[in-house]
Amino acid sequence: MLVITRKPGERICLGDDVTITVLEVVGQTVRLGIEAPAEIPVYRHEIWEAVKEENRAAAGASIANLPSSNKNNRSTP
Amino acid sequence: MQIASTRFGTIEIRDDAVLEFPDGLPGLRGERWAFVAGSDDSPFFWLHSVEHPDVAVPVTSPWLFVSDYEVRVSEEEARRLDLNDPSDAYIVCVVRATENIADFTINLAGPVIINAGARVGRQVLNDVGGYSVRHPLFSEVELNEVQPTRSAVPVTAAAG
Repeated sequence: MLVITRKPGERICLGDDVTITVLEVVGQTVRLGIEAPAEIPVYRHEIWEAVKEENRAAAGASIANLPSSNKNNRSTP
Repeated sequence: MQIASTRFGTIEIRDDAVLEFPDGLPGLRGERWAFVAGSDDSPFFWLHSVEHPDVAVPVTSPWLFVSDYEVRVSEEEARRLDLNDPSDAYIVCVVRATENIADFTINLAGPVIINAGARVGRQVLNDVGGYSVRHPLFSEVELNEVQPTRSAVPVTAAAG
Protein backbone atom coordinates (compact mmCIF):
# COMPACT_ATOMS: atom_id res chain seq x y z
CA MET A 1 0.00 0.00 0.00
CA LEU A 2 1.11 3.53 -0.80
CA VAL A 3 0.38 6.30 1.69
CA ILE A 4 0.36 9.87 0.41
CA THR A 5 -0.47 13.14 2.19
CA ARG A 6 -2.56 15.60 0.19
CA LYS A 7 -4.14 18.97 0.89
CA PRO A 8 -7.49 20.25 -0.44
CA GLY A 9 -7.11 21.13 -4.11
CA GLU A 10 -4.27 18.66 -4.64
CA ARG A 11 -4.57 15.62 -6.87
CA ILE A 12 -3.51 12.03 -7.29
CA CYS A 13 -3.13 10.34 -10.68
CA LEU A 14 -3.69 6.63 -11.19
CA GLY A 15 -1.92 6.14 -14.48
CA ASP A 16 -2.86 8.60 -17.22
CA ASP A 17 -6.60 8.05 -17.08
CA VAL A 18 -7.73 8.46 -13.49
CA THR A 19 -7.40 11.64 -11.43
CA ILE A 20 -8.59 11.99 -7.85
CA THR A 21 -8.88 15.50 -6.41
CA VAL A 22 -9.21 16.26 -2.70
CA LEU A 23 -12.01 18.82 -2.79
CA GLU A 24 -12.69 19.45 0.86
CA VAL A 25 -11.83 18.17 4.31
CA VAL A 26 -14.38 18.80 7.05
CA GLY A 27 -13.73 17.07 10.36
CA GLN A 28 -13.77 13.31 9.72
CA THR A 29 -15.11 13.67 6.17
CA VAL A 30 -13.10 13.97 2.96
CA ARG A 31 -14.86 14.96 -0.25
CA LEU A 32 -13.17 13.59 -3.35
CA GLY A 33 -13.59 14.38 -7.01
CA ILE A 34 -12.89 11.43 -9.28
CA GLU A 35 -12.30 11.71 -13.00
CA ALA A 36 -12.12 8.36 -14.75
CA PRO A 37 -12.97 6.99 -18.20
CA ALA A 38 -16.58 5.82 -18.54
CA GLU A 39 -15.46 2.20 -18.85
CA ILE A 40 -14.04 2.22 -15.32
CA PRO A 41 -16.78 1.80 -12.72
CA VAL A 42 -16.29 3.83 -9.54
CA TYR A 43 -18.05 2.48 -6.47
CA ARG A 44 -18.02 3.08 -2.75
CA HIS A 45 -15.90 0.25 -1.44
CA GLU A 46 -18.21 -0.96 1.32
CA ILE A 47 -21.24 -1.23 -0.97
CA TRP A 48 -19.33 -3.12 -3.63
CA GLU A 49 -17.87 -5.45 -0.97
CA ALA A 50 -21.41 -6.11 0.29
CA VAL A 51 -22.49 -7.11 -3.24
CA LYS A 52 -19.50 -9.47 -3.51
CA GLU A 53 -20.29 -10.98 -0.14
CA GLU A 54 -23.93 -11.56 -1.12
CA ASN A 55 -22.85 -13.25 -4.36
CA ARG A 56 -20.43 -15.53 -2.53
CA ALA A 57 -23.06 -16.41 0.04
CA ALA A 58 -25.69 -16.99 -2.67
CA ALA A 59 -23.30 -19.31 -4.53
CA GLY A 60 -23.27 -21.58 -1.49
CA ALA A 61 -26.87 -22.62 -2.12
CA SER A 62 -27.75 -26.10 -3.31
CA ILE A 63 -30.74 -27.17 -5.38
CA ALA A 64 -32.34 -28.45 -2.20
CA ASN A 65 -32.51 -24.90 -0.81
CA LEU A 66 -34.87 -23.71 -3.53
CA PRO A 67 -38.52 -24.69 -3.65
CA SER A 68 -38.64 -26.90 -6.74
CA SER A 69 -42.16 -26.10 -7.77
CA ASN A 70 -44.91 -23.67 -7.03
CA LYS A 71 -47.52 -26.29 -7.71
CA ASN A 72 -46.04 -28.61 -5.13
CA ASN A 73 -46.14 -25.82 -2.63
CA ARG A 74 -49.70 -24.94 -3.51
CA SER A 75 -50.84 -28.50 -3.04
CA THR A 76 -49.21 -28.70 0.37
CA PRO A 77 -51.93 -28.38 2.98
CA MET B 1 -21.86 -26.66 -25.40
CA GLN B 2 -22.00 -28.98 -22.44
CA ILE B 3 -21.23 -28.15 -18.86
CA ALA B 4 -20.86 -30.74 -16.12
CA SER B 5 -22.73 -28.85 -13.43
CA THR B 6 -22.06 -30.02 -9.91
CA ARG B 7 -25.70 -29.22 -9.13
CA PHE B 8 -27.53 -30.43 -12.21
CA GLY B 9 -25.20 -32.93 -13.88
CA THR B 10 -24.53 -32.59 -17.60
CA ILE B 11 -26.42 -29.69 -19.18
CA GLU B 12 -26.43 -28.82 -22.87
CA ILE B 13 -26.33 -25.04 -23.26
CA ARG B 14 -27.15 -23.51 -26.61
CA ASP B 15 -24.75 -20.88 -27.88
CA ASP B 16 -27.51 -18.27 -27.92
CA ALA B 17 -28.15 -18.87 -24.22
CA VAL B 18 -24.63 -17.88 -23.18
CA LEU B 19 -24.33 -14.43 -21.62
CA GLU B 20 -21.06 -12.51 -21.56
CA PHE B 21 -20.21 -10.72 -18.32
CA PRO B 22 -17.01 -8.85 -19.28
CA ASP B 23 -16.34 -7.92 -15.64
CA GLY B 24 -17.67 -11.17 -14.22
CA LEU B 25 -20.03 -11.35 -11.29
CA PRO B 26 -18.42 -9.55 -8.33
CA GLY B 27 -16.83 -11.98 -5.89
CA LEU B 28 -17.24 -15.01 -8.18
CA ARG B 29 -15.17 -16.62 -10.91
CA GLY B 30 -16.10 -16.60 -14.57
CA GLU B 31 -17.10 -14.26 -17.38
CA ARG B 32 -19.60 -16.44 -19.24
CA TRP B 33 -22.89 -17.37 -17.66
CA ALA B 34 -26.23 -18.91 -18.59
CA PHE B 35 -29.64 -19.14 -17.00
CA VAL B 36 -30.49 -22.65 -15.87
CA ALA B 37 -33.86 -23.67 -14.44
CA GLY B 38 -34.48 -26.70 -12.29
CA SER B 39 -38.21 -26.56 -12.97
CA ASP B 40 -40.57 -24.59 -15.22
CA ASP B 41 -42.96 -23.40 -12.60
CA SER B 42 -40.60 -21.94 -10.02
CA PRO B 43 -40.00 -18.22 -9.54
CA PHE B 44 -36.32 -19.07 -9.06
CA PHE B 45 -33.67 -20.09 -11.50
CA TRP B 46 -29.90 -20.06 -11.55
CA LEU B 47 -27.29 -17.85 -13.13
CA HIS B 48 -24.78 -20.61 -13.82
CA SER B 49 -21.14 -20.20 -14.78
CA VAL B 50 -20.37 -21.79 -18.13
CA GLU B 51 -16.68 -22.03 -17.26
CA HIS B 52 -16.85 -23.24 -13.67
CA PRO B 53 -19.26 -26.16 -13.14
CA ASP B 54 -19.54 -25.56 -9.40
CA VAL B 55 -20.38 -21.84 -9.58
CA ALA B 56 -24.02 -20.72 -9.74
CA VAL B 57 -26.27 -18.30 -7.87
CA PRO B 58 -30.07 -18.41 -7.49
CA VAL B 59 -31.81 -15.46 -9.15
CA THR B 60 -35.35 -14.25 -9.64
CA SER B 61 -37.34 -11.43 -11.14
CA PRO B 62 -37.49 -8.87 -8.32
CA TRP B 63 -40.97 -7.62 -9.31
CA LEU B 64 -42.48 -10.99 -8.43
CA PHE B 65 -41.67 -10.20 -4.83
CA VAL B 66 -41.34 -6.41 -4.57
CA SER B 67 -43.99 -5.01 -6.87
CA ASP B 68 -42.85 -1.38 -6.66
CA TYR B 69 -39.13 -2.08 -7.08
CA GLU B 70 -37.32 0.55 -9.11
CA VAL B 71 -34.02 0.35 -10.93
CA ARG B 72 -32.08 3.21 -12.39
CA VAL B 73 -28.90 2.48 -14.30
CA SER B 74 -26.36 5.26 -14.69
CA GLU B 75 -25.55 6.46 -18.18
CA GLU B 76 -22.06 5.03 -17.84
CA GLU B 77 -23.40 1.58 -16.92
CA ALA B 78 -25.92 1.73 -19.75
CA ARG B 79 -23.08 2.53 -22.14
CA ARG B 80 -20.97 -0.37 -20.81
CA LEU B 81 -23.94 -2.62 -21.57
CA ASP B 82 -24.56 -0.96 -24.94
CA LEU B 83 -28.15 -0.42 -23.77
CA ASN B 84 -29.93 2.22 -25.79
CA ASP B 85 -33.51 1.21 -25.14
CA PRO B 86 -34.70 0.33 -21.61
CA SER B 87 -36.94 -2.36 -23.10
CA ASP B 88 -33.80 -4.30 -24.09
CA ALA B 89 -32.87 -4.64 -20.43
CA TYR B 90 -33.72 -7.85 -18.67
CA ILE B 91 -33.23 -7.61 -14.93
CA VAL B 92 -32.82 -10.26 -12.25
CA CYS B 93 -31.62 -10.09 -8.66
CA VAL B 94 -29.46 -12.54 -6.73
CA VAL B 95 -31.22 -14.52 -4.01
CA ARG B 96 -29.56 -15.77 -0.85
CA ALA B 97 -31.31 -19.11 -0.38
CA THR B 98 -30.86 -20.27 3.18
CA GLU B 99 -32.06 -23.44 4.94
CA ASN B 100 -35.35 -21.84 5.88
CA ILE B 101 -37.27 -20.27 3.01
CA ALA B 102 -38.70 -17.62 5.33
CA ASP B 103 -35.16 -16.28 5.74
CA PHE B 104 -34.43 -15.92 2.00
CA THR B 105 -33.14 -12.49 1.01
CA ILE B 106 -32.79 -10.70 -2.33
CA ASN B 107 -30.12 -8.20 -3.35
CA LEU B 108 -32.09 -5.16 -4.51
CA ALA B 109 -29.08 -2.82 -4.29
CA GLY B 110 -27.07 -4.73 -6.91
CA PRO B 111 -29.36 -5.90 -9.73
CA VAL B 112 -28.02 -7.94 -12.64
CA ILE B 113 -28.79 -6.10 -15.88
CA ILE B 114 -28.73 -8.01 -19.14
CA ASN B 115 -28.85 -6.55 -22.61
CA ALA B 116 -31.09 -9.29 -23.97
CA GLY B 117 -30.32 -8.55 -27.59
CA ALA B 118 -26.54 -8.42 -27.22
CA ARG B 119 -26.52 -11.10 -24.47
CA VAL B 120 -24.16 -9.01 -22.36
CA GLY B 121 -24.62 -8.62 -18.64
CA ARG B 122 -23.30 -6.71 -15.67
CA GLN B 123 -24.13 -6.55 -12.03
CA VAL B 124 -24.45 -2.86 -11.18
CA LEU B 125 -25.27 -0.67 -8.23
CA ASN B 126 -28.83 0.59 -8.38
CA ASP B 127 -28.85 4.38 -8.72
CA VAL B 128 -32.16 4.36 -6.87
CA GLY B 129 -30.78 4.46 -3.34
CA GLY B 130 -32.10 2.98 -0.15
CA TYR B 131 -32.34 -0.64 -1.26
CA SER B 132 -30.66 -3.38 0.76
CA VAL B 133 -28.31 -6.09 -0.50
CA ARG B 134 -30.25 -8.37 1.85
CA HIS B 135 -33.93 -7.49 1.56
CA PRO B 136 -36.25 -10.13 3.10
CA LEU B 137 -37.70 -11.89 0.07
CA PHE B 138 -41.06 -12.80 1.52
CA SER B 139 -41.78 -9.50 3.25
CA GLU B 140 -44.65 -8.69 0.85
CA VAL B 141 -45.83 -11.99 -0.58
CA GLU B 142 -46.07 -15.69 0.26
CA LEU B 143 -44.45 -18.27 -1.93
CA ASN B 144 -47.78 -19.62 -3.14
CA GLU B 145 -48.72 -16.14 -4.41
CA VAL B 146 -45.63 -15.86 -6.59
CA GLN B 147 -45.82 -16.56 -10.30
CA PRO B 148 -43.15 -18.49 -12.20
CA THR B 149 -40.47 -16.31 -13.74
CA ARG B 150 -40.66 -15.50 -17.43
CA SER B 151 -37.30 -14.75 -18.95
CA ALA B 152 -36.46 -12.45 -21.84
CA VAL B 153 -33.36 -14.53 -22.57
CA PRO B 154 -33.12 -18.30 -23.08
CA VAL B 155 -33.22 -20.41 -19.92
CA THR B 156 -31.77 -23.90 -20.14
CA ALA B 157 -33.92 -26.55 -18.50
CA ALA B 158 -32.11 -28.98 -16.25
CA ALA B 159 -33.38 -31.91 -14.30
CA GLY B 160 -33.33 -30.54 -10.78
